[in-house]
Amino acid sequence: MDQTKRPLLIPPEFANYAEHHGVFDMYKRLLEQLIITKPADPVTYLIDLLKRENDDVPQIVILGPPAAGKRSIAKLICAKTRAAHLTMENLIGDAELDLREEAENCINSKKAVPTELWSKIIEQRMQLFDCVKKGWVMEGFPQTREQALALQEKGIYPKHCVVLESPDTVLIERASGKRIDPKTGDVYHTTFNWPSNAEIQSRLEEATGCTEEEMITKLIVYHRHIDAILRCYDKVLKKVNADQPKADVFAQVFTFVCSQLRSNTPHTPRVVLLGPTGSGKAVQAALLASKYNLVNVSCGQLIKQAIADETKTGQAAKNYVQKKIMVPDSLVLNILKDRLSQLDCVTRGWVLHGYPVTREQAEQLEKEGLVPNRTFFLDVPNDSVLERLTQRYTDPITGERYHLLYNPPRTQDVKDRLQRHGKDNDDDVRKRLAQYHAYAEELSDFYVDGQHINADQDPHTVFETLESMIVEPLPKRLQ
Amino acid sequence: MAAVLPPKGDGGTYTFTSQPRAVQERKKYREPVIQQDEVPPQYGNIMYDRRIVRGNTYAQHTLPATAQPDPIEIQRQQENRRRAIARKRAKDQLRPRSPEAVEGRKHIDVQTELYLEELSDRVEEADVDCQTDAFLDRPPSPLFIPAKTGIDVTTQILEGELFDFNIEVKPILEVLIGKTVEQSLLEVMEEEELANLRSQQRAFEELRNAELVEQQRLEEQERRHREEKERRMKQQREVLKKEKETAEKIAARAFAQSYLADLVPSVFGTLADNGYFYDPVERDVEQGFMPWLMEQVEIQLEKSQLGRLVLDGLIREVSSSRFELYNNLDAKLVDPKVASATVDSQKVKIEAEPSPATTTGEAEKPVEEVPKPEEPVESAEPETEQTQEDEGGED
Repeated sequence: MDQTKRPLLIPPEFANYAEHHGVFDMYKRLLEQLIITKPADPVTYLIDLLKRENDDVPQIVILGPPAAGKRSIAKLICAKTRAAHLTMENLIGDAELDLREEAENCINSKKAVPTELWSKIIEQRMQLFDCVKKGWVMEGFPQTREQALALQEKGIYPKHCVVLESPDTVLIERASGKRIDPKTGDVYHTTFNWPSNAEIQSRLEEATGCTEEEMITKLIVYHRHIDAILRCYDKVLKKVNADQPKADVFAQVFTFVCSQLRSNTPHTPRVVLLGPTGSGKAVQAALLASKYNLVNVSCGQLIKQAIADETKTGQAAKNYVQKKIMVPDSLVLNILKDRLSQLDCVTRGWVLHGYPVTREQAEQLEKEGLVPNRTFFLDVPNDSVLERLTQRYTDPITGERYHLLYNPPRTQDVKDRLQRHGKDNDDDVRKRLAQYHAYAEELSDFYVDGQHINADQDPHTVFETLESMIVEPLPKRLQ
Repeated sequence: MAAVLPPKGDGGTYTFTSQPRAVQERKKYREPVIQQDEVPPQYGNIMYDRRIVRGNTYAQHTLPATAQPDPIEIQRQQENRRRAIARKRAKDQLRPRSPEAVEGRKHIDVQTELYLEELSDRVEEADVDCQTDAFLDRPPSPLFIPAKTGIDVTTQILEGELFDFNIEVKPILEVLIGKTVEQSLLEVMEEEELANLRSQQRAFEELRNAELVEQQRLEEQERRHREEKERRMKQQREVLKKEKETAEKIAARAFAQSYLADLVPSVFGTLADNGYFYDPVERDVEQGFMPWLMEQVEIQLEKSQLGRLVLDGLIREVSSSRFELYNNLDAKLVDPKVASATVDSQKVKIEAEPSPATTTGEAEKPVEEVPKPEEPVESAEPETEQTQEDEGGED
């Protein structure tokens, strides 16, 4: 069968399916594990891997100088994601008998535990069920580049690495107030994190190794090693300033942990821009289309086009437009469906703005199979909208568009002959805004993956935000 | 009577216990006088013995021991008699009788035997006796010809006196023949009709057969067409399905190929980023060479530090000894010769010694000028290379 007689038609469902299930990433992960583990029977091994279903488990390493708050942040993350919490103490405590004895001997004789022993302990620990199924948060390890390299050689690497940074003086001060609850191992602080429960308060004792001299030695050791370790993890690294309240630090760390790395998955963006009138949807759509070669689909334009072309649907729509009533959903959907199913939209991707407005329209769109993979809500306060729209003028002779505030005309002549669009007066704008807000909440409930963007900034800033969100994978939502 | 027991034969046939004997006759009336035994017993004919029951014994009407008959028995007998009479009467009534005479007539009994017999109330009787002759063969009984009674009367019907046969017979004949002819005509007509019916039926059946055959042929044809059509359609559907499947498979393969084209490079890229694939030379340099290098550097630094310490010691030694000497010089001002000589030699020694390394913060001159009482007194000769840790520490 040669291509001219029967051209190869790849149904778009393939691409949707692949994207929806993350096929590329899955294959990548499988192949990586295969290369690292090198099993004797690859197929059975792959089947086992797939059955484990642990694509999204967190694998996090938290590093930082002493008294930076690693323990607290690690515990918070474990509580949120239910991953296993690995520290140097509990790694030894949970290890197999012979390894544990060896490690304890080393500790008792005041020697550093050798790297091979660590890597064995960690390898064993990672095979355990909870690390495999729920993920792990490793805190305070590796402490030297050697240990980091040993882990990497075994093929154990984190998806995210968080470094809590803070000036040394702050740390030393903080260390003096550190208290430990001997029962749970939680770390509290006299000033920053005092427990409310009186019982816990009575139990707290001072932490060992927190005098100033000891802190200074520890800090020196830390600074000696940290740069080398960070070089190992620089692709997945984020440095967070630990000199903030715990909640802020945790918020930043958590956002980072939720975000995903840029992957090489082939990706056709199908973007829907939602927002009130005057939020800049058309502008952004034009920018996106020009930069990423997407098809700019404006719902209003399509309808006007259909009317002008005098197609059947166009004529049907014309009646409604002439009577100034909203064109019914079914007609609009037909027009859209025709356009979005054409080959260029399917292959290049599209950016749609001006539709859907209500939840039913969104549901119908989804039923037709035209599911967007990025949805953006451009949020603008009403006053800004009014400002933007009511002061928008056009010069009828040159066709230039001006804005009295942001882009005023140069000469008085031009200013005199400027004209405003009939629909840009106060009342009409307010009406349109009210209409949008009536449906906005439902829409944002429907599009759970929709990203809210502050569109009250200048267009290029907004464009950059949009770009980054389109190009990067969506952050995953942890339960 | 006493039974005479017969002599038992040895073995042989079975015999009765008592010998059989003839039954004595029983006289009807008793003898008036008891007879003597000389009179021989009278044996009667057993066939006519009243004592022997004749007939069946199972329904005998035996009289009871008492002579008095039972009243019930009498009643029963009477009833039976009455019943028998009633039965007879009923039978008589039931007996089919000849029908009653038609009106104007009367039944008369007629004798139908060969010879008529006169019936009268009184039957004539006569006694006649005879004696048979000597035994002769019984002659055949003569034919019984009863006496003739009554008067014979004859009559004769001559031809033509009663009726005229030809005339009388005509209607009968007519009817007979007519009926016969009619009957035969009818039969013939019936036959013809039947034949016609048959032929019509046959014709109709032939027509019907022909039509049936035609119908079957058409049905066959239709069925064959339909089956053929179905088969063709199924075939076509299969072909289409196969084509669709093939197209889908090709599309899937093409898609998968293009989709996963970047898979292997990105996998290796990720693994390299995460440090699984590392440059072995770099790693070796880092792990093998650098530690060794650092160790060597450490050793060298230690050595130089050692050297500096030793130097410090030396300098201190010299300075302290110099200090002593100068102290002693003051004391020896009295003896200028000895003093100058020693001063010169000391000066030469001072100039000859190399300038101390930078680590020695203390200069020689301040050591000389400012006497440090706490400095230990040492020997005048310069020491060999022995570090004094305390003084080294001061540096």
